[in-house]
This record gives sequence, structure tokens and C-alpha cells, in this order.
Amino acid sequence: MTPSTPLVVIGSGPAGLGATIEAARAGLPCTLIDEATHLGGQIYRTPSAGLRVTDTAALGKDFAKGERLRAGFAAAGGRVEVLSGTSALGVWDGREILWASENASGLIRAERLVIAAGAYDRPVPFPGWTLPGVMTAGGVQAFVKGNLVRPGRRALVAGTGPLLAGVANRLRGAGAEVAAVLEAGPPWWPPEPLPAVWHGWEFMADALDHWQALTAAGVPFISNHTVFSAHGTEQVERASYGPVRPDDWTPIHGEARTAGVDLVVVGFGFVPNTELTTLAGCRHRYAPELGGWIPERVPFFETTVPGVFAAGDGAGIVGAAAAEAEGRVVGVTVAEAAGAIAASEADRRREAPLARLRFLSEAWRELDARYRVRGGLTDLATPDTLVCRCEEVTRGEVGAAVGGGARDLQAVKLLTRLGMGPCQGRNCAPFAATHLCQVTGRSPADVGRINPRPPVKPVTLGVLARAEGIGDTSATDPLDAVGGGAS
Amino acid sequence: MNRSPDVVVVGGGVIGCAVAYYAAKRGLRVTLVDRPQRGRATSASAGGLWPLGESVGLGCGVIFYKAMAGLGSLPDGVHGPGQLPKVFLDFAVRSNAMFPDLAEALRETGGLDVEFERTSLLFLMYDEGDVAFAKPLWEHCPCGRDLTEWLTPEELARAEPAVTREVRGALRFHGDDQVNPYRLAEAFRTSARSLGATVVTHTEVTGLRVESGRVTAVETATGAIPCGLVVNAAGAWAPEIGRMAGVEIPVRPVRGQILGTEALPDVLSACLSTTDCYLAQKQHGEVIIGSTTEEVGYETGVTPAAMKALAAGAVRAVPFLKDVRVKRVWSGLRPGTPDELPILGPVEGLDGYLNACGHFRTGILNAPLTGLLVSEMIAGATPSFPAELFLLSRFSGAIRRADNR
Ligand SMILES: Cc1cc2nc3c(=O)[nH]c(=O)nc-3n(C[C@H](O)[C@H](O)[C@H](O)COP(=O)(O)OP(=O)(O)OC[C@H]3O[C@@H](n4cnc5c(N)ncnc54)[C@H](O)[C@@H]3O)c2cc1C
Ligand SMILES: Cc1cc2nc3c(=O)[nH]c(=O)nc-3n(C[C@H](O)[C@H](O)[C@H](O)COP(=O)(O)OP(=O)(O)OC[C@H]3O[C@@H](n4cnc5c(N)ncnc54)[C@H](O)[C@@H]3O)c2cc1C
Repeated sequence: MTPSTPLVVIGSGPAGLGATIEAARAGLPCTLIDEATHLGGQIYRTPSAGLRVTDTAALGKDFAKGERLRAGFAAAGGRVEVLSGTSALGVWDGREILWASENASGLIRAERLVIAAGAYDRPVPFPGWTLPGVMTAGGVQAFVKGNLVRPGRRALVAGTGPLLAGVANRLRGAGAEVAAVLEAGPPWWPPEPLPAVWHGWEFMADALDHWQALTAAGVPFISNHTVFSAHGTEQVERASYGPVRPDDWTPIHGEARTAGVDLVVVGFGFVPNTELTTLAGCRHRYAPELGGWIPERVPFFETTVPGVFAAGDGAGIVGAAAAEAEGRVVGVTVAEAAGAIAASEADRRREAPLARLRFLSEAWRELDARYRVRGGLTDLATPDTLVCRCEEVTRGEVGAAVGGGARDLQAVKLLTRLGMGPCQGRNCAPFAATHLCQVTGRSPADVGRINPRPPVKPVTLGVLARAEGIGDTSATDPLDAVGGGAS
Repeated sequence: MNRSPDVVVVGGGVIGCAVAYYAAKRGLRVTLVDRPQRGRATSASAGGLWPLGESVGLGCGVIFYKAMAGLGSLPDGVHGPGQLPKVFLDFAVRSNAMFPDLAEALRETGGLDVEFERTSLLFLMYDEGDVAFAKPLWEHCPCGRDLTEWLTPEELARAEPAVTREVRGALRFHGDDQVNPYRLAEAFRTSARSLGATVVTHTEVTGLRVESGRVTAVETATGAIPCGLVVNAAGAWAPEIGRMAGVEIPVRPVRGQILGTEALPDVLSACLSTTDCYLAQKQHGEVIIGSTTEEVGYETGVTPAAMKALAAGAVRAVPFLKDVRVKRVWSGLRPGTPDELPILGPVEGLDGYLNACGHFRTGILNAPLTGLLVSEMIAGATPSFPAELFLLSRFSGAIRRADNR
């Protein structure tokens, strides 16, 4: 029989930790699964094991916040079983989770499930984006925080939104020279007046600190500009960049310039990671203001599948603070549903995080209005730019498939193999979907998605073959009976 | 658009596309109507072309048989996976023989390579039971001795170094090949279009207009298409289309789950069939591992139990696969029939209607001859293959006319 657990939380970023802390604090035993070897998720990463941290200040505020969250987690006591280095490969019937670590796998059944799988960097294909030396903001963040070394000597940072400043400053802190920060949207830095709701928002305060430090160091911030292409034989040697049209961010190729850099960092925001909520059977909708496809949720973040909750960036891009607050609301709600705390107590515990969410969602809305990616960026890719890296499908091939009658992602996939590789479309679906919508005039809902298939994370056949908690189908070899019957 | 097409093909899987291609090639005016459907068999298939193996119960048959025996649910008197009748073998062998020329023709007409490959099929014998099962197949193979070859463990190790040494030997079937199934369907479709066929995608057929015993139009979500003849090639959904004209078709969805690995360098030259699974390395490098045989209605998911069983079967057959990553697991719905033979041709009492459905586990293999045969039926030409045994009327009492309400 499959063992059953009162609560399984997938993802140990701020959302998953928030949920685990609140549920455990209320007395509910939980199992916390994360494919990473450390708790903390995308933002509150810890350096890799083996590296000694001598100067925690160098790791920045996030590290300190992460430590606080981890301390809260430690205080929640022994009710949490932590499965680090363990990925969820798929979810069945809403509650059965197939997991795998490096050398084991198995099926566990959860009475309640919280999916807090975060987001991934929005891929924006441009010529040279697959060259070594081109990294995503998240990739750099992981690299710098995990290894405490710089990934390049001279970097061009391009993308959208105030997060870029933090990435650039972290790079500088790690010893890299930052050639420029290119913002595709309008400036958010002085003297630009900021919306009232951003005052007192820690997120913007942090970004402005980073901006100040970078400006003091002579790093230019240029609005309505972006990277056009990266060049080099083995790895990035230079990049071309230039202005974009302010309305839709179409690159103005005629005004391109070149910079000698060995690192190009791109950060065009994030796409919710909805693989697990999709496999769990939750209904999704397209919400461009929250990053794309997201699971539909009722007020305390339960999905359309009873007992399955979704929190944090995986349910719509909201940032670390809101992710944690959502997680806390979910943790309390799950504990309440499991009878661990009374309704009145649950209401009391939800109050603070809910109030925080109200503030944060307003601030985030303003941010999205200015910095959500615009359609003109699809013009960065030339016909021979790879759109799908796994299967090496070019923009030209996607164009030909669409020209030949493909009207949705599924059709493009069957025609070109786009999205058939190990990333299951993560790196190519956003571009292909936007392109389809632009060419056919259809809506994102009509263009559809690339359906995720288990396993959503890597697993070997050997590990899968030994899965625990799954009955063996046949013990006897029935062809033995043939021997008797045939002669 | 003012002249109505001679024929409308319903369903754009490999069968519908093959029919459209051969019909267009004959100069008939064809319109293919398809609504992409989760679970369409063609997108799930392994692309094995195993006329010999399949007809003696290898491929999916033996795996299914083992699962049934493991559950203790074999019908009385059944010992060993079922062999299909001689007519199936003849049909399949003929169809398979069409592939080399067809691949060339499709490349010329539509510009697509269907990745046809001569591989042969090896049945791995793990134990005495497997040997006892294989011996008579080798000795009395309906295809004749020259197409089969008995390999000792040493010979097998030389031929396929990646295969486990824990075997009693292997039985090789020469003439069992493989193709890329999606490419095949796509190539049929593209070529049909180059030959003048109209392809209407993303459009659901919602009804058939029948006037005094003859189909006169196909109704779709975007309007009616008048026609002289309709071909039902709707795979596992063929009964729905049949019912639109009052024809009851005994096709049911039979789910198959299948697993694909990351791309590997060339490790297998033959396709492999065991009592646990079959394996085929495709041109792209991935190894495809199939497959379950399940009656779960139109359910198209995958299950942890099948993933585990297929993985275990693959690692047993080719041990180094244990360190290879699984890329995806998916499933498709085979159009299953009670006697495992396709349902082709006209239906008594209904004019302007032809079946091209029920291809079960061998629709890729049997697509070329089906396409050719059905196109001949459409044109009223002499059929290249006797079709009597494939008529719907073989199922006694299966035809019920809709009551006239
Ligand atoms: C460069 C960069 C800078 C940022 N700066 C800021 C900032 O200054 N302020 C701010 O508010 N936000 C910032 N963010 C955003 C912030 O990181 C996210 O909003 C936040 O981490 C979301 O938390 P989460 O818990 O929803 O997801 P995550 O933190 O992404 O956590 C998700 C976790 O789920 C795990 N996971 C996913 N899938 C599986 C699976 N199948 N099996 C097992 N585990 C799985 C992952 O390993 C990960 O640990 C930044 C992000 C980046 C990349
Ligand atoms: C796991 C697996 C492995 C297999 N391996 C092999 C193999 O190795 N070799 C082999 O020869 N065969 C194999 N098969 C079998 C083979 O795939 C099928 O026999 C074959 O694909 C059937 O093709 P089809 O065109 O009849 O059906 P499908 O491919 O299912 O196509 C039917 C089409 O009709 C459409 N349709 C249905 N209803 C409507 C409607 N109302 N309006 C419009 N369109 C409609 C559907 O959307 C679909 O596109 C395998 C099958 C599976 C599942």
C-alpha cells in the first residue's frame, strides 16, 4: 500500500517554507520535498555545501531573510520530514506523488498537497542566446549565491524590471565589471517619479539601493534598450544592443551598437512553473499579468482539485514576500481543514499575511503594467535563431509550420519537434505561443499549451525501475505455461 | 470551393492521411477533416513495422498476455499470446513491402523523410518458457523459415552488444522494420496536399447527412461539406462517426502507455521484443519503450505502475539503460476490434460510406495498403487485396440501423 501523509509540500522556496512553517506550527506533520539540496528556493539560496561563508554580509539581505525563514522553520520542530535532493516527477489523482532522488524513487499519497514549485526565467530567444556566456538572471543568481565566484569578467545585463539591478549589483559584488544595465521598459530609477503604492515597498527600496551602488560605481542604466545578439566563437566575446520602440519593444536594428563583454545576463521576468498543478488536474487560465498560465484558485489558494493548494510564483508571479505570505495562508488553511486548529484561530493566523498580500498585489500590479514583456521582442530572433534548444528547432522552422497551417502549440510540436526535448517546452513554448498569437490572431487560450508529461524532472530508468510503493505487476513468467501447453 | 469534393475523409491520423494521399494520387478530389484529439494513436505509436512479429503475438501481444496471465485472468484454453489469422499476415506483409518505394515517393512529393529503417525484430528469450514459445514459431513460422533466424546467446551478444547476456538466445524476424510514425502521417498529409487534396485541421465532424440511404454531406463545426462519399478514419472515435449514419462499429479505445529516453548514440540495431516490453531506437537517438494494453475508456493519462514496469523491462533487456534518463511517458488510444483485424470497406444498406478504422496495434504498419485499398474502393477500381474478411459485416448482428425518429 502507498503510505499516506497528512501534508506534502513540494518546493521549499518562500512559499513552500511559509506553508510548512504554519502547518507544522499548528501541529500538522508534513513532508517537504525539494529537488535542491538546500532549503530556500530561488531567492533564499545558501552556498553549496563545502563552501565556508566567512562574510555573510556579502551574501546580501536575501541571505539574511532566508536565514530568518529557515530559523522559523527550525522552530517549527520535528514535525517536518525534509526530503532534499528529491524531485516530484508527477502527481496523480491530485494526491499521489511520484518522487525520485539520486538513487531511489517511490510513490507517496498525501491527504493534502501544496504545490509551490516557483517559476523559471522567461526565455527570450535572440541570435547567440545559446552561446556559453549568456545566462539568465536566475542562473546568475544561483551561480553567484551558490559558488560565490563571478561567472564572467565584463557583463551586459539586459531585460526588464527592477530585479535586474539586484542581479547586476550581485555580479559587481562578485568581482565582475558591469558594462551597462539595459531596461527594455521605462526607467524606474530617479528622477522618474514612482507610483505612490511603491513607497514603503521593501522590494523597490532594495532595487533603489542596488541602483545607487551601481550608479556610484559608474554603471549606466539605459531605458528602452535591450540586447540584440551575442557573438563569439566558443563563447561570448561581444554583444550588440540598441533601442527598442517604447510601445511594444520592437528592436530598432538600425541603431545597434556593440560592446565587448564575455557575459550577457538576460532577465525578462518569470513564467510560473505549472507542470505539477497541470498534472494534478487543476484547471488553469491564462493571466498575462501574472506571467502566463496559472492554476485557478479560490480565496485561500485551493485549486480546483479539492485538497490541492498552489502558492507562490508557481501560481502567478508575485515575488518572494507575497510568495511567503501565500504560503503562510495555505499552511494555516490546511491545518484548519485537517482539524489541527479551530476556524477562529485560523482566521486570526491568516490576518497578517492576507493584509500583506493586499498591499503587495497592488504594488505588483503597477510593476507589471510597466515591465511586462511586450510582443515586439519576438523580432529579436532571426530565421536561424534556435527557438527550441533541446530539439534544435529554429524560428524559421516554427514560422514554416505556422505558415503551413499549424494553429496551436501542439501542432507546431508535432511538425517541428519543438518542446519534445527534456525541458518539455519550458524554453520554447512562450516564444512559440506568442508567435502563433501574432501570426494567427488567435488567443493564448486557443493556441494552448504544451502538455507536461511525467517525469517533469530527470530520472533514470534504473531508479524508476526500483520505485517503492508500487506493486509489482507480475511475479510469475506466464510463458512458462506455454512450454506445457504447446508440446 | 464551388465544386463539392468527391470524397471526405474523417480523421487525420495515419490512416486518414494515407487514404487522402492514395485518393489524391488517383486524381480524386479529397478533403481531409481532422480535429486534433488527445490520445490519437498515431502520435503515441512506436512506429514498429513488424508484420511477422505482430502476427505471431510479439510486440504488444506478448506483454499483454503476460500481464493477463499475471493477473490470472486468461480465458480458458489460452496458452500463449494469440496468433493472428493468415490473412492478417498477408495483408501486413504486403503493406510492409510498400514502405521502401513509398518512402521515396513521399520524399519526392512532400519533401519529408519518414525515417524508414530496416532493423529486423529480435525476440529475446529469457527462460525455458520463452524458448518453448519461440521454437514452434521458428519451426513453423507462417512466413517461412528463411525470414526467421535463431541466435545463440553468443551470436546475440555479437549482433547486439548492448543487450543483456542473461538470455537463452533470440529469435530474429527479418523483414520487420521501423518508421517514424508522426513523420509518416505528416508526409502522407503534406503529399496529399501537394497532389491537390484539401486538408481542414482543427475542425470537428459533428454529423453525417444521410438522404435515402446515401451519405450526401459531412457536417462540421464550421459548416457542411457536400460529398459523394465519406471515409470513416476516426481511429478510436470511429464509432461516434459511424453512429452519425446509424452504423454501429465495434471499435473500442485500448490505451497504450509508452516511454521515451533521452537521445543516445546508436546502441541498438534491431528492434527488441520481450515478455516485459519492446524497445526500438529511433533515428533521432531516443529509445522508445512500449507498451501497455489497457481498457480504460477514453482515459489518456499515464500511470506510475506502467512507468515502473516499462522501466524495469527495459533495464532487464538492455542493462546499461539503467543510467539513461527518461524523457517522457505518454499514451495513446488504439482503435481496438474484437478480432484484432481492421474494419475496411462498405457497409450494407448505406451508400457513400466506407470504413477505414479498427487498426488496433498495427495501424502504422498497415497504413499504406489500407490507403491504397480504400482509394481503389472509392474509385471503384479492382482492389489490390481481397477485402471480404475485413468488412464490417463479418461481425454478425453488429449492424443496426438507426430507428427513424
Ligand atoms: C535573479 C533573481 C532576483 C530576484 N530578486 C528578488 C527580489 O529582490 N525580491 C523579490 O521579492 N523577489 C525576487 N526574486 C523572485 C523570487 O525569487 C521569487 O519570487 C520567489 O523565490 C518565489 O518563491 P516560491 O517559493 O514561489 O518559488 P521558488 O523560490 O522558486 O521555490 C520553488 C522551489 O520548488 C522546487 N521545485 C520546483 N519543482 C520541483 C519539483 N518538481 N520537485 C521538487 N522540487 C521542485 C525548486 O527547487 C525550488 O526550490 C528574484 C528572482 C531572481 C531569479
Ligand atoms: C502506445 C502505442 C504504440 C503503438 N505502436 C505501434 C507500432 O509500433 N506499429 C504500428 O503499426 N502501430 C502501432 N500502434 C497502433 C497505431 O498507432 C494505430 O493503429 C494507428 O495510429 C491508428 O491510426 P488512426 O489514424 O486510425 O487513428 P488516430 O491516429 O487515433 O487518428 C484518428 C484521428 O481522427 C480524429 N477524429 C476523431 N473524431 C473526430 C471527429 N469527430 N472529427 C474530426 N476528427 C476526428 C482524431 O482526432 C484523430 O486525429 C501503437 C499504438 C499505441 C497507442
